[in-house]
Amino acid sequence: MKALVKLKVNGRSYEVAVDTRAKLAEMIRDDLRLTGTHIGCGTGSCGACTVLLNGQTVKSCCVLAADANGQEVTTIEGMSKPGELSPLQQCFVDHHGLQCGYCTPGMVLSAHQLLQDNPSPTEDDIRHAIAGNLCRCTGYQNIVKSIRAASET
Amino acid sequence: MIAGEFEFFAPPTLADALRLLHEHGSGCKLLAGGMTLVPVMTLGLAQPGAVVSLNHLQGLDGIEDIGHALRLGAMTRHATVGQHPLVLQHAPLLAAAARGIGDVQVRHRGTLGGSLAHAEPAADYLCATATLGARYLLQKQGSERWLGAAEFFVDVMTTALEPDELLTAVEIPKQAAGAGYSHLSLRRVEGAFPIVLASAQIAPGYAQARVGLGGVGPRPVVLDVGDVVQGGLTPAALDALGARAYDAAQQALSDLNGSGDYRREMARVYARRALAAAAAQLPTGGR
Repeated sequence: MKALVKLKVNGRSYEVAVDTRAKLAEMIRDDLRLTGTHIGCGTGSCGACTVLLNGQTVKSCCVLAADANGQEVTTIEGMSKPGELSPLQQCFVDHHGLQCGYCTPGMVLSAHQLLQDNPSPTEDDIRHAIAGNLCRCTGYQNIVKSIRAASET
Repeated sequence: MIAGEFEFFAPPTLADALRLLHEHGSGCKLLAGGMTLVPVMTLGLAQPGAVVSLNHLQGLDGIEDIGHALRLGAMTRHATVGQHPLVLQHAPLLAAAARGIGDVQVRHRGTLGGSLAHAEPAADYLCATATLGARYLLQKQGSERWLGAAEFFVDVMTTALEPDELLTAVEIPKQAAGAGYSHLSLRRVEGAFPIVLASAQIAPGYAQARVGLGGVGPRPVVLDVGDVVQGGLTPAALDALGARAYDAAQQALSDLNGSGDYRREMARVYARRALAAAAAQLPTGGR
């Protein structure tokens, strides 16, 4: 069964006929071809698929695409202009906040949300803010460093 | 992609949602935040013929002061419950419970009503709302009824909701001025489901004291322990409270996170800690 979904992604309007069984993450990747949003577990545990839905982070593998009708979504592609990095993204590069990069889009979105809500987070605040994002490479140390550096610039 | 086909509805009003429920009955699943339903459908553990999303209808979210109590719409998200000024002022125990659920992303999307209707025994809201003496509003086409926790929660993941009924609101009596509260949980890591929960509320001068337990049986357990702590939180009173919690957790279930016996022991430990933490907030500091 198909559903017509009208939504805004990274400021651009889209109209997509999606399978009602599709998740928001799948629509973003397969229909909109925005493949920066990654799918890890598909069941809400890993946070790789984190996007902003109406300005708040959610796991897009746990939102039905059809339920995003009329909503506004921001993905990792919306964090900076093409070919450029946001200051937060640059901090991830400068502080080796990624290795394989699979979790990075979700980490950046969660860090973005944290710095919006709390521009001067403590280390504890940072660790709580990324509790919903799993990384299997870095042991989190450099991710925390990257976010702290972004909060200090 | 979810494997099983289903019809998808996003009704704009409560009346439309209740009509759809009436037409589809038990073949239909209500989609609130989807933090459980969507993963469970992805894994093929639930295969409803129809999904009715509540995310597009007006008026089911929001928090209202109705004098003696707060009324929270079922679609109010955890992040709102955890930070709303009315909840922080009049039901801080509930706010603390909401702030401990899942992780940031889950709290942005998950809802009060979704969690309560799912009725996972170790969910924060079951223990917290039962301890606070909440009432739950169940609506269907043409009628509505209010239930207390003792009637609403029936068994593991089972409530009194009929197939054509919708949980639309929760009423939480306001906490008395100067009361103490706490909400504690035992979990492996942040974001993991709790193994055992304890909520406590204590009135000034120990006039009333209540400890709620979650994860220690099919339904939340609420203990009135005013008699135990009449003379203050003495070591003997805490021992008596722990023994009562241990007895109340007889039906604790075993799973990979812990045996029933372990949960009973933890019920003893967390009941004591919760009441002591609540008492420490009293103006006298629990003495």
